[in-house]
Amino acid sequence: MTERIDSETDRLQAINLTKQYAADARPALDGLNLTVAPGEIFCLLGQNGAGKTTTINLFLGFLQPTSGQALINGMNVADHAQETKKYLAYLPETVLLYPNLSGLENLDFFASLAGFALSTDELRGLLLRAGLQADAHTRSLGGYSKGMRQKVGIAIALAKQAKVLLLDEPTSGLDPKASNEFSELLTQLSADGTAILMATHDIFRSKEVGTHIGIMRAGHLVETLPAADLTANELEAIYLQTV
Amino acid sequence: MIRLAFKNFIRSGGVRAGLALLLVAGVVSLLIGRQFLDRQTQAIADVRAYQQTEFARNIATHKDELGLLLYYLKFSLVNQAVPLSGLSLGQRDVNPSIQSVTIRALESQRYDADLTNPANLLLGNLDFSFVLIYLFPLLLIACCYNLVSDERESGTWKLVVVQQPNVMSVIYRLYAIRVGVILALLAVLVAVAIPLLRLPIDGSLVGFVGLSVLYVLFWAAVCFWVTSLRKRSSVNALLLVTSWLALIVLLPTLLNTYLVTRYPTPEALETSLAARKGYHEKWDTDKHQTMQAFFAHYPQFRSIPPPKLAFDWPWYYAMQQLGDDDAGKAANALRAKVAKRETASRQLARFIPPLHTQLQLNELAKSGLGNQLRFQEATGHFHENLRLHFYDRLFRDVPAKAENWTRFDVQTFHDEAPIDALTGLLPLLLVTIIFAGLGWLNFRKTATMA
Repeated sequence: MTERIDSETDRLQAINLTKQYAADARPALDGLNLTVAPGEIFCLLGQNGAGKTTTINLFLGFLQPTSGQALINGMNVADHAQETKKYLAYLPETVLLYPNLSGLENLDFFASLAGFALSTDELRGLLLRAGLQADAHTRSLGGYSKGMRQKVGIAIALAKQAKVLLLDEPTSGLDPKASNEFSELLTQLSADGTAILMATHDIFRSKEVGTHIGIMRAGHLVETLPAADLTANELEAIYLQTV
Repeated sequence: MIRLAFKNFIRSGGVRAGLALLLVAGVVSLLIGRQFLDRQTQAIADVRAYQQTEFARNIATHKDELGLLLYYLKFSLVNQAVPLSGLSLGQRDVNPSIQSVTIRALESQRYDADLTNPANLLLGNLDFSFVLIYLFPLLLIACCYNLVSDERESGTWKLVVVQQPNVMSVIYRLYAIRVGVILALLAVLVAVAIPLLRLPIDGSLVGFVGLSVLYVLFWAAVCFWVTSLRKRSSVNALLLVTSWLALIVLLPTLLNTYLVTRYPTPEALETSLAARKGYHEKWDTDKHQTMQAFFAHYPQFRSIPPPKLAFDWPWYYAMQQLGDDDAGKAANALRAKVAKRETASRQLARFIPPLHTQLQLNELAKSGLGNQLRFQEATGHFHENLRLHFYDRLFRDVPAKAENWTRFDVQTFHDEAPIDALTGLLPLLLVTIIFAGLGWLNFRKTATMA
């Protein structure tokens, strides 16, 4: 595990981050240390309940840590909940949107919430970039599949032009082609200097897109590996041994 | 953002149906108000016409005997219905707006009222104040009960919080949309009411509309507070509907029960018995004694020697007068009791916003109990003036044809009681601020929680 203390360039940092939901339960997250620098894609692998979503929710400020710190751009999330959210975009496992609005309107709504007044062309451009076919843009959300909503969610994250991206199993619901396009998108974003933390079950995808791979078990980060050094099969073997 | 949030809100089928239903109910209530005002106008015209034809007929028949003529003649006093009463009927349909009295004993005539269908009384009037007080909060509750909680449950709140970290501004805007739509509906109804009921644009109307707006804001504040508790939508709905029931149905009923128990009015029966007995007894009482009692009340007539007539009309009216005098104590006690009830209910209602609003609206529309009490008092003066005028003529045996009957037109009582706008608005404003403040404190802590 490589540990760096250079918080100037580290967009995301967890320092002994611990979360215990109930006093008598074991911690969901136990002394997590990790850093994600600009341009890095850190993939968190692990079984259900390993603490991946808890980690993301702590960075989002939806949870208060029991001890330790979650830092974004060097700022403690617990102390600067409003400020830190300005720098990040978030894509949940299941993107839930307003059923009475179309995909385009949903994107417009969330973009303007973040302070971006975009033209229809710009909004359509974002949706296309996220992989949503043009004829679906103005359709009511009622007829959207999970993958289509996921793509609107991706466009929403893109619209914010955030330098930190938190992804919680973002490719669930995407077909292999869309999933592949999404990976390309992530690679582009990281090339532009975005720091990305992604929780996922998809070993092969993480190997392909990630710069670092962390394997979690029972609230601990048990392994951190540079993705470049591994083949997918090696990674799977390590994963299966670890969990 | 606000445009899209509005779209998202208004595109819900339920919202549009609710708004349409409330609009229809509102327009129906205005038509009912129009009908009420028309009925009032018609009744006044009828009474005026009746008084003219009846006067002419009776004078022709009984021109030789003033006492007998006055036995029949009814003089009417109208409690003028202001156009605003079409919006808030209050007790106008239960209590008579016209009192037609002969100069005989007043107490037995005072409570002569039109027959009212008790089934209508049971249901209450669907007037505008009903729509405002009962139905507006229901729609507001339906629009606001799941604010934020619904987004938490469906998962969109997380995205909202991440996109706009200043969540309070989002919550304000979401509320503004809902309250704005409801207030717009109120504005539409007021805009329709002004020409339909020919409402003059004056202080009373401004007070009426101001009170209505504040009442809507009160419920918005209650919704704001309940949704700030971070409960599930279903719990919010339960809490809000329960408070609607408590504030609108339960507490006013309890207050009424309390007032009736606290200020019982056995004087009501006592008055009518005393008035009847006081008068009937006099048939068997010595005439001289009756006249002495009468002169004790009106010493000015003592000096006039009563004319010797076949039937002694001064004695007859003295007898009638004593019916009132005997019932006087009980009658005054009854009025004082009712006035006390009115005062107590107004003071206690300050803690029950819907009831307070209803009472204040009635006060502005001059259709409440206060107006009715003042009208009764005016009827007393009206009757007394008639009496004094005709007693004088009866005692001096002035012939009926010497009277200028045309000057006895229907008279109108104008309720000029001052309206204290501050007392009306302040209690409502205060609870609204309290609930909004509590909601604000809660939301500041919980709004960013997903």
